[in-house]
Amino acid sequence: MNWEQQLKLQAWIDGELSESDARRVAAMVESNATARALAEELRMARAFISANEPVVAVPESRDFYWSQIRRRIESPETVREPVAGLSWSLVWRRLATPLSGLALVAFLAVISFNSFRSPVIDDGSRFMVEVENLSEDVGSISYRSQSENMFVVYLYKKDQDVDSETSAGSSDDTFFQ
Amino acid sequence: MATQPEKPDVPDEKLVRRAQRGDMVAFEELIARHRDKIYARAFSMMRNEDEATDLSQEAWVKGWQRLKQFQGESSFVTWMTRIVINLCLDQLRKHKRQRAESIEHLDEELGGVERQMPTVTVNPTEGLERTELRARIDRALNQLSYEHRTVLILHEFEDLEYKEIAKRMECSIGTVMSRLFYARRKMANLMASYKREEMS
Repeated sequence: MNWEQQLKLQAWIDGELSESDARRVAAMVESNATARALAEELRMARAFISANEPVVAVPESRDFYWSQIRRRIESPETVREPVAGLSWSLVWRRLATPLSGLALVAFLAVISFNSFRSPVIDDGSRFMVEVENLSEDVGSISYRSQSENMFVVYLYKKDQDVDSETSAGSSDDTFFQ
Repeated sequence: MATQPEKPDVPDEKLVRRAQRGDMVAFEELIARHRDKIYARAFSMMRNEDEATDLSQEAWVKGWQRLKQFQGESSFVTWMTRIVINLCLDQLRKHKRQRAESIEHLDEELGGVERQMPTVTVNPTEGLERTELRARIDRALNQLSYEHRTVLILHEFEDLEYKEIAKRMECSIGTVMSRLFYARRKMANLMASYKREEMS
């Protein structure tokens, strides 16, 4: 018996096979003494384990055990979880952050594309782009280099330290050029 | 919060409804009824009294927090058992990360071992008293790695299907099958060796 056949034999015992596979395994068990012995061993092990789960009791008195649970329940950090799903305002807040980031990206991409596409006179006015970030959670820093013809916007989560995130190369960082 | 005295014949369902309304006395009664079962599940997975006590208590706290989500599709104790199992699995994952031990490494290490074990043909549990049999099973469970023990517990004690075990343990169904196969064969062989010890 190969490894796959052994696992199929076990799956057959556990009732996890399709009807056609189960028929094939049953035929193998019928004709193969090794398969039959293995099937017997697996059945026996399953039976004695499942019927004899070790019994253990809490090693503390009812009152002491409950007092520890109660203290945890009543601690200020423990709050009952809401029954229903998320409220609309929370869903909106969660969606607003990535959406505002995406909108900003799209806006900057269009502006950058338009500014660099046509060779206009470099009077500096083509870089006069106003970037407005409406997100409460995402901050932005922009950098413009006229000599290198480059405009970079760096987005970051407001609750994170910009310098450390830059050096760590977090996946949340986004550069646009 | 209501503080009515408890009667032992009050069904779980009634206590759950009262606890869902914030009645801590009813909740305490539920704990008293099922604490050993919840603790036993934690202990069988963690094999450590302190951790089992801590995780079982944590499960009760989570149960209290989520009580309003309990709709009664399963029994209360089944629902609580699932909570404690999830907490134990999280804790075991933390242990595993600390040990920097990968599942792949473990599987490689054990690959083929189950094929070298002799097939146990004589029932090694025959003639044993229930208490002794349980003690031996407990001893044998202790010899398994936590991955093999957990699969065995989820399948044999919790009656979960391969697919459900794979989901909970965050591994493939093939891995579940392989671990279960090894765990059963190892248990059969360990029980046979205890029998031989007894005879000699």
